[in-house]
Amino acid sequence: MAQAGNVIQFSGHQYLRHRLVLSILSGKAVRIDKIRSDDKNPGLRDYEVSLLRLLERITNGTVIEISVTGTAILLKPGIIAGGSVTHDCPLSRSIGYFLEPVVMLAPFAKKSLHLTLRGITTDDRDLSADLIRTVTLPHLQLFGISEGLELRIKKRGSPPLGGGEVQFLCPIVKQVKTLNFVDSGRIKRIRGISHAVRVNPQFSNRMIEAARSVLNRYIPDIYLYSDVYKGEDSGKSPGYALSILAESTTGAIHCAEATSQPGVPPEDIALLASRALLEEIRRGGCVDRKHQSLALLMMVLGSEDVGRCRMGEPTARTIQFLRDVKDFFGTSFKIAPADPADETSSNLIFSAYGVGYVNANRTIA
Amino acid sequence: MSEQQTHKAHRPSQSGAKAEKKSKAKGKEKQHGFNEKAFAPRSGRRAERQGRRKVEKDQTRLHVPLVNRTPDDEPPPVIVAIVGPPGVGKTTLLKSLVRRYTKQTLNHVQGPVTVVGGKKKRITFIECNNDLNSMIDIGKVADLVLLMIDGSYGFEMETFEFLNILQAHGFPKVIGILSHLDLIKKAATLRATKKALKKRFWTEIYQGAKLFYLSGVLNGRYPDTEILNLSRFIGVMKFRPLVFRNTHPYLLADRFEDLTPREEIRASKGKCDRTVTVYGYLRGTNLRLGTKVHIPGVGDLSMKSVTMLGDPCPLPDAESEKRRKLSEKRKLQVHAPMSDVGGVIYDKDAVYINVPGSFTRGNTDVPQGEGEKMVMDLQDVRETLEDGVARSQIKLLGSSSKPLAVDPGPSRSHMDDSDDEDDDESAGESDDGSEDDYGEELDSGAEEEEGDWELEGEEEEDTAHPHDSGRSSLREVRRSMRDLPSDGQRREVEYAESDSDLGGSDVDDDHGLAGPSKRVRFGDEDDVEIASDAEEEMSDGEEAPRWKADLGEKARAAFEQHGRKGKRKDWTKLIYMSSLSPADILRDVSNASSNKDQTMALDDEDFFTVVSSSGPQEEVLDQTKEVLRVEDLKEWEDEEMLDSIRNLFITGGSTETPAEGGSGEEFGDEDSAAASDDEHQAETPADPEAARAAALAAKKEALKRKFDEQYDDPEGSQMGFYEEKKEEIARQLELNRAEFEGIDSEARALIEGYRPGSYVRIELADVPCEMVENFDPSYPIVVGGLLPSEERFGFVQVRIKRHRWYAKTLKTNDPLIFSLGWRRFQTIPIYSLDDHSIRMRMLKYTPEHMHCYATFYGPVALPNTGFCAFNSLSSGAAGFRVSASGVVLDIDRSTKIVKKIKLTGVPYKIFKNTAFVKDMFTSALEVAKFEGANIRTVSGIRGQVKKALAKPDGAFRATFEDKVLMSDIIFLRAWYSIQPRKFYNPVTSLLLSHQEEWQGMRLTGQVRREEGLKTPTNVNSIYKPVERPGRRFNPLKVPKNLQAALPYASKPKIMKAQSRQTYMQKRAVVLEPEEKKAMALLQQMRALRKDQVARRKEKQEERRTVHRQKVAKEEAKKSEKEKERRKEYMRVVGIKSKRESEREEGGRRSKRTKT
Repeated sequence: MAQAGNVIQFSGHQYLRHRLVLSILSGKAVRIDKIRSDDKNPGLRDYEVSLLRLLERITNGTVIEISVTGTAILLKPGIIAGGSVTHDCPLSRSIGYFLEPVVMLAPFAKKSLHLTLRGITTDDRDLSADLIRTVTLPHLQLFGISEGLELRIKKRGSPPLGGGEVQFLCPIVKQVKTLNFVDSGRIKRIRGISHAVRVNPQFSNRMIEAARSVLNRYIPDIYLYSDVYKGEDSGKSPGYALSILAESTTGAIHCAEATSQPGVPPEDIALLASRALLEEIRRGGCVDRKHQSLALLMMVLGSEDVGRCRMGEPTARTIQFLRDVKDFFGTSFKIAPADPADETSSNLIFSAYGVGYVNANRTIA
Repeated sequence: MSEQQTHKAHRPSQSGAKAEKKSKAKGKEKQHGFNEKAFAPRSGRRAERQGRRKVEKDQTRLHVPLVNRTPDDEPPPVIVAIVGPPGVGKTTLLKSLVRRYTKQTLNHVQGPVTVVGGKKKRITFIECNNDLNSMIDIGKVADLVLLMIDGSYGFEMETFEFLNILQAHGFPKVIGILSHLDLIKKAATLRATKKALKKRFWTEIYQGAKLFYLSGVLNGRYPDTEILNLSRFIGVMKFRPLVFRNTHPYLLADRFEDLTPREEIRASKGKCDRTVTVYGYLRGTNLRLGTKVHIPGVGDLSMKSVTMLGDPCPLPDAESEKRRKLSEKRKLQVHAPMSDVGGVIYDKDAVYINVPGSFTRGNTDVPQGEGEKMVMDLQDVRETLEDGVARSQIKLLGSSSKPLAVDPGPSRSHMDDSDDEDDDESAGESDDGSEDDYGEELDSGAEEEEGDWELEGEEEEDTAHPHDSGRSSLREVRRSMRDLPSDGQRREVEYAESDSDLGGSDVDDDHGLAGPSKRVRFGDEDDVEIASDAEEEMSDGEEAPRWKADLGEKARAAFEQHGRKGKRKDWTKLIYMSSLSPADILRDVSNASSNKDQTMALDDEDFFTVVSSSGPQEEVLDQTKEVLRVEDLKEWEDEEMLDSIRNLFITGGSTETPAEGGSGEEFGDEDSAAASDDEHQAETPADPEAARAAALAAKKEALKRKFDEQYDDPEGSQMGFYEEKKEEIARQLELNRAEFEGIDSEARALIEGYRPGSYVRIELADVPCEMVENFDPSYPIVVGGLLPSEERFGFVQVRIKRHRWYAKTLKTNDPLIFSLGWRRFQTIPIYSLDDHSIRMRMLKYTPEHMHCYATFYGPVALPNTGFCAFNSLSSGAAGFRVSASGVVLDIDRSTKIVKKIKLTGVPYKIFKNTAFVKDMFTSALEVAKFEGANIRTVSGIRGQVKKALAKPDGAFRATFEDKVLMSDIIFLRAWYSIQPRKFYNPVTSLLLSHQEEWQGMRLTGQVRREEGLKTPTNVNSIYKPVERPGRRFNPLKVPKNLQAALPYASKPKIMKAQSRQTYMQKRAVVLEPEEKKAMALLQQMRALRKDQVARRKEKQEERRTVHRQKVAKEEAKKSEKEKERRKEYMRVVGIKSKRESEREEGGRRSKRTKT
């Protein structure tokens, strides 16, 4: 009825996930066209279709129309229903690809979400299940989403065959808290998980050794856990990875991860991960670069107060995200240098006035 | 300025009569002061009770802390609505109040009237007419309601209806006013009436609600003293924020204009959609562009543009603030564009000339002279003289309270006309504000052009460093330092202030220093603005402009700084105001930071390789992690590099200042830093130690203060939950205020929207033409902002209760008019009740005196929003019109309401416990759907549907727990889910020529009645007398052969009743004396024996009880032991199983949860 003519247009296949998320949260229909229209293999990929299917399943009343060629979609969002959902992810992308948008939606569902995803738990494109558990979820805690928030890694699955399984449990909230996080503090501890499946368990210890060789110089509080899954729980393909995170005195978390590559010794993987972590730490800010858009989204959705957050330079994804947020919610951020006096610092303070988003899906009484 | 004079301080007389009097009074006061003994508790118990009572009272004082989103410094006017039945004296009261505040008499009041009510308070009065639609709309926006009641008559239905509407929408403050009390002549009756009315009023609002009495009318007004008292009450009224209004922006339009081109209207014969502007003070929360608004009575509309205008009824400023009372000039301020106030308002959209008293617009029955007609025609002129007037400030009439206010163009965000009308504002403040505006005004035309040019420049020339000169923060008015160009890099000299100094007249052109460089600007109007700034300052005759103070030094500092680093980029601008792709923006950063001394080529885009992305294939993917490349991280192999970030760890040396600096602690810090960049940059290299020492000292000082506080008042420093929450709210509000303080209003509106308290003009597109054609100022126009979720439609589940005064019950599937959120709409609810938490069961009618659920299709409102419902809004409806009220519970896209359906069938063949049933279904397919379903006979025998039978269609085999009878009816109880009809009909009362005559969907019965149609009857539905013949059972007949074969006990004993007396019956027995004696003896012996046996038994029982006790004791001991043994066993087993399970699962789990 009245929703007609309220469609936001985008083109291109990039940034599909956060556009879908914003559409579902804001309730505005979105139309995305020219999806790989010039490609040899035009249209949506299997994982994108699978994502759409997943979103349809955790919502109620969502209408998704995909054009015949698959190069255009129209999403008329329904309400976020939550509940118990099981989804098999295709092997072309890891579970992280699907979990990232779900993490943004789940707190605003009608019922708390209990999502089981099967597929690849760690790959080199998306956040691994480990990082989501140890970094993404603590980021949500900044916004008051903590009680009952859990990610269980039941089985691990490495590419190409996967076979992993995770359970994501997310509570619902009425409204997210306003973030005011401008003190990034100093790194006080480093934690990490090195896992290996269907390879020699010693690989994991070798990675830990190598990572320690770089990181030990900074602080003594380093714990890198070796997490070896055996038998049934270890998926169908061999693989190993190291994910490390550094936590600051104020609770800011930076993370990095490197996964096994053929022909590369585990030591090199570990070095890569730890150097990436150092790079991440040097960039500074209170929020990890991979989680910038999550933090910014939650800031926008906060109560009608000013939320502030210190971050490093935005990534390309973040920049596009900020633009899309403006289209969906009409809110833009004030982006000012964190310390104008210090030229070397590239840190920025993102401040925004929340839209006062209240979880309308929540049932009372 | 000139009015700043120092007053002599008051010096109390030290001696003399006055001093004596005062000292005496002091002594007296002491004497009569508080006698502690008088209030001391008499006993310990009493003291305890008193203490408890005090604490209880304290608790009742507390309310849930609510954030008030309305700014304290410049709040929007308070809306005071005057409501009551017709003829009760609303207009008279409004006029009296306006007269009290402004000393002006309005003859014809229409629409809102805004007056200044105090130093920090403005009031908008609005009269509410008797239409229920208006009452609903007013009830949603009014902060204070003056509820007028005819004292000579008593309460009327409208009053109660209105109170119920208020209750559903948050209940603003209400002051009752009794008028027409002069009609009651007898003093005793008057007293009694007052008392009765007051009592009734109190039960409706709360005990002790304020009720005013107004006696008769003098000179067309209420007595001045009574009005004065009332105004004092209004003045001190405090308002608690209401939840709905605290989450939605809204506006009560005090002006309304049609902007549609005349030609278009003419061409479409007035039927085209219009473009309309509404004006008013924003209230509630911040209004963002891009959201939709709802005008109750019209519909959802999209805002084309929002413009902040100068306040037409400004609060007294700082200067007059010093005086204890409002100045007379301020008192005269009144803003009522729909009424006939003697003022002229001239702006972009229309010309208003209101000549007080002589005529009013649209008042055609008054004979008009030639001149008046001309003036009337003038009023219809649209969009003329706009630019001409843009520069001028004309006061048309000497008596006009407002000068000609010039409304800047649609792209203008803010126009502060406060200095147009008053020159007595404080100098510093007004300068700050007006610089901006003058610049904007003068530059009005050039802006768009300049914007275009700017983009062009970006694309054409300087692609390598397009944003070098972008600002590090949003535009500041007083930004005195800009970068100077060097030969290596071309960048803009943002030496705005020096324009008048260097070039003087060049407005659009660039500075000599800059040469061919391009400018990237945020605000675009710098040059002109500053030029005019300079002029103004000069003409004001103040001290030399500030920017001139240390020009040389700044220039040097800038030069140095430029040499050191690339200019920071303005992220806000890059992201929101450029069309560059994200990758381009980032690439630009990496250039600026890494290749500092890069010489430029015009088309160097090709030479750049994308550093962060790797190959086209990866780039296509939507991935979160960036590809880790060994080459990128090579630098970390370097020891020096590794050491360089040591300071980011807690173990890092303290010699280096941590990167976060001081900005984390105070936000004020960076604001000031941004504001005076130059000062900072000049001082930063000078003495970091001193700064650090100062910071340390400040920190110490704060710690010391905190300690002192805690030491002095240990209880005071421990805040309760309540205080803590309040403090938290206050802190956040302070942060909200401070964060965007320095930014210019346009950018600020972009970030946080338009703040409540500002006077805005909202341009609405695609407004139905009827709204303009049938505009009636006596109907309020409320513009309510919608939250993103409220634009959607869905099934809304509400908890509803029929109003106890509404005479009829409400029926499912009857249309009902809801007032929910901002909207008024008609929809079709389905009532339901929760059936044992298993299902939502449909109700045909709302239950009596009880809540139930209702589900309807309509626009979504947030859960917990209150609503009220009506069956009819027309004034002709008899009785109480508010039919129900309730609250929203849930929003969904589907519903789960079911109603019961009973399928019946009859057995046509019965075996033992099996029966074949027909007439329940019509096909085997249907049966298949119901296989396994529970069925039941009327007599209560339960059974199950088994399988369809081939022969009669729809027949099936069923089994029962017992044999059923052929005469039984078999039921299948099923639940049929129903969806509410998707019917939504907004109440478009403002689009009608007679606003109160809106008619929605009618009931079938109503339609039939009005059309004179007969109700069609179904023959099967006609009631016929029920005939139930008594059931006769045949006598049981056992065949002879069978009877013979039966055993005697089972044989039917069919005998006639004995008719003769028996032998024994016929005879009487008489005993002989001996026999009698023997009999007696025998009896005695038997008695003795009996007694003996009884005694023996008793003895035995005694012995047995002793024995039993002994045994029980032993048993108890035994069982105790057994229990112990079992416990021990279970403990061991438990531990064992726990270990086992841990071994199975725990090892991995514990490891994972450690991080």
